[in-house]
Amino acid sequence: MGGQGIERREILRYIGMAAVAGTFPGFRQWVFACPQEHSQSLPSHVGSDSYQPLFFSSQHYRMVEKLADMIIPEDDTPGAKQAGVAEFIDFMVANRVPVSGSRDIRSTDDAIEAGNELQNRFIAGLDWMNARSHSEFGQQFMDCTREQQNSLLEELAYKAKFKPTTEGGRAFFQMMRDYTVVGYYTTKIGLQSIGYPGLRAVWPKMPGCSHPDDPEHANLREPASSAVSTQSNKN
Amino acid sequence: MAAKVYDAIVVGTGAGGSTAMKILCEAGLQVCAINSGPRMDPDQDYRAHRQVYDLKYRGYGDPLRLQGKAHQEPYSVEESEYSEGRDLFEHDVAYSNAPGTDWYWKRCKATGGKANFWGRSSARFGDIDFKAADLDGFGENWPVDYAEISPWFSKAERYMGVASTIQNRPSNPDGEFLPQIPWRCIDYIIQKGAEKIGVPYLPDRCAQLTVAHNGHPACHYCGNCSRGCDVGSFFSPTWFTIPEAEATRNLTLLTNALVRGILVNEDGMANGVAYVDRGARKEVEVYAKVVVLAASCVETAHIMLNSKSRHWPTGIANSSGQLGKNLCEHLYGNPGYGYLPRLLGQPATPDNIADSTVAWAPRWQNLKNPREEKFIRGYSVYIGGGCGEFPGYYGQIEGFGAAFKRDLKRYYPTSIGALIQAPTLPSSNNYVDIDPEKKDIFGIPQLRFHFQWGQNELLMWEHSKQVMSDLFKAMGAEMWGADDQPNRAGTSLHETGVCRFGNDPKRYVTNKWAQTHDVSNLYICDASIFPSCTDKTTTMPIVAFTMRTCDHMLDNFKKGVHKRA
Repeated sequence: MGGQGIERREILRYIGMAAVAGTFPGFRQWVFACPQEHSQSLPSHVGSDSYQPLFFSSQHYRMVEKLADMIIPEDDTPGAKQAGVAEFIDFMVANRVPVSGSRDIRSTDDAIEAGNELQNRFIAGLDWMNARSHSEFGQQFMDCTREQQNSLLEELAYKAKFKPTTEGGRAFFQMMRDYTVVGYYTTKIGLQSIGYPGLRAVWPKMPGCSHPDDPEHANLREPASSAVSTQSNKN
Repeated sequence: MAAKVYDAIVVGTGAGGSTAMKILCEAGLQVCAINSGPRMDPDQDYRAHRQVYDLKYRGYGDPLRLQGKAHQEPYSVEESEYSEGRDLFEHDVAYSNAPGTDWYWKRCKATGGKANFWGRSSARFGDIDFKAADLDGFGENWPVDYAEISPWFSKAERYMGVASTIQNRPSNPDGEFLPQIPWRCIDYIIQKGAEKIGVPYLPDRCAQLTVAHNGHPACHYCGNCSRGCDVGSFFSPTWFTIPEAEATRNLTLLTNALVRGILVNEDGMANGVAYVDRGARKEVEVYAKVVVLAASCVETAHIMLNSKSRHWPTGIANSSGQLGKNLCEHLYGNPGYGYLPRLLGQPATPDNIADSTVAWAPRWQNLKNPREEKFIRGYSVYIGGGCGEFPGYYGQIEGFGAAFKRDLKRYYPTSIGALIQAPTLPSSNNYVDIDPEKKDIFGIPQLRFHFQWGQNELLMWEHSKQVMSDLFKAMGAEMWGADDQPNRAGTSLHETGVCRFGNDPKRYVTNKWAQTHDVSNLYICDASIFPSCTDKTTTMPIVAFTMRTCDHMLDNFKKGVHKRA
């Protein structure tokens, strides 16, 4: 009876090698996001410029790419661009996959309706961004300077900077941020950046808490590298 | 040629049914097990260490995947993209909700059922549960007491492997345990806070193999449990009972066979079952001396209610009129979530068992005096958190850019949340019956749910929110919020009561051995016999009561009450 269990332990050594993502159409940057497992299936000509969006126009797609990279930029770990987040968003929106919102989906009709609404909200939201940047800076979002783009996002992202006329933009930004966060933290790059322990599938034992002398954990010091973020976050 | 007659038919191969199969087969009986869906294949159907980025839709699934199905509502978590394209969950057979009822009925139809993916919390019931009516005057006692059931709990624990510690709390009887799962940082912090407000926080009874057990390997802490264990390091029919039953060569296992009713002989006794072969779309009959129903609580009642004959005009073994009544369920909901500032910026720790119940706050209310609170009985709370698979707290952090990204990482080890497990009281409002009009695609009359939360469980829900608020303060945590409403009824998957057991044939469906009063060769091996729902989960007790029922049944074979085929 237990024989199966023991045999299966051997199989553990081979796990983690299923290269499924490499076979999906249009997902080349996802493949980039998972370099070790999938490098063999990479076509040699792949580059971000050659990606043909499934849903967005090329202008809108470049905006999605830009916004995602502003939300999760490269710092000491790669950002949304390296993780292929724009492709993810394009794929999910094209396939009407809701990742944000709490709409109750009880049937395929519900799913289609939610998906259509999602597609419309993306288009309308990107257009809103362009209209806003026109009224603020007299040009399209993508033609704005980095500072101008930042200030356009800040009034949508920080409560202290909210304006009464930007409600539609705030809802779009929130959705855009939802898709970006989901798109990033479901790649190997994203999971590595927070140190998700489950990337390693076999632990010889569960180590548990390593602070036996301080059960209340009242005396922990925040490591220096992340203390920096406390500083820079005060805006 | 005469049709084959088995010694026993077992309907359902989950925790109860597969345990019955194993015991009866090992005793030498010829057993036919009937499973509604396909054979579970761990290699294809479990997560098997695939990462979320290996999935086309990153775990969200194709929103159109259920197009054309009779029951299109997607189920959560266990029915994930890891098994997409496999036909493991029931979407062909629809069910009804009466007006005002919103029951969520998740059905895993593959062999092993929901016990492939269960939560593994395995506390013993005690006399505080069995004799609750004596204590607070409400409802019915169980027809058994702890002294009688305790050895069966031991037997189930020894077989399954349950990790915990000795705690000396009469409301949560101790058992025979494997070494506990080591505590994470958050567990120590929660425990210190709980201590300050007089709430216990203790290792749960968790059926997870912290050491190798009965030939099954020790847990390797991959954190994939709720999508199936690839090596069988916690009890599941797929790794434990089903292979053991098959090893006896006394088992015939039929798959994709949807049971529609129990067949009876001239005397109204069971002599087999009729099922729909899903592939061929035709009805088939199988015969046996004894029939065991273990179809998962409400489905057991569904089959019985649909088994009408001149002997049993309202459903088989329903002379008491109690079949389908007394539906109970756990009220689930999140009474508080937030984070522990003292863990900000700490390194991610390999405590990657985010969905294991490492520790919990077992019922502490109404222990000294059964009426010390505004509600009777009591609830338990699971509290968890730490480094999970997705930074689900990101919505709490505003902004964008490098600072946002760094903050997501700083908060990673800190987030915590709670889950209340509150029993509903039996109520005349809560029951299942047969929809008088609707039939499923196989022509079988549909099951219909009638269910509302009652005052008692809603008082527990409010109480738990206050306790969480106090606990968060006591442990120096910041609260982000709590659910406004409890989860939909049905989400706990812990329904009980629709075939309640008791000594009086006029008032109960089965006797104390889970043998129906009316039909002596019809037994029930699932949670439908439990006349009330406790603050504890049902799987381990289902296994324990099934062991006891099978022991009684085998005794009846020995005594000649049941004849071999």
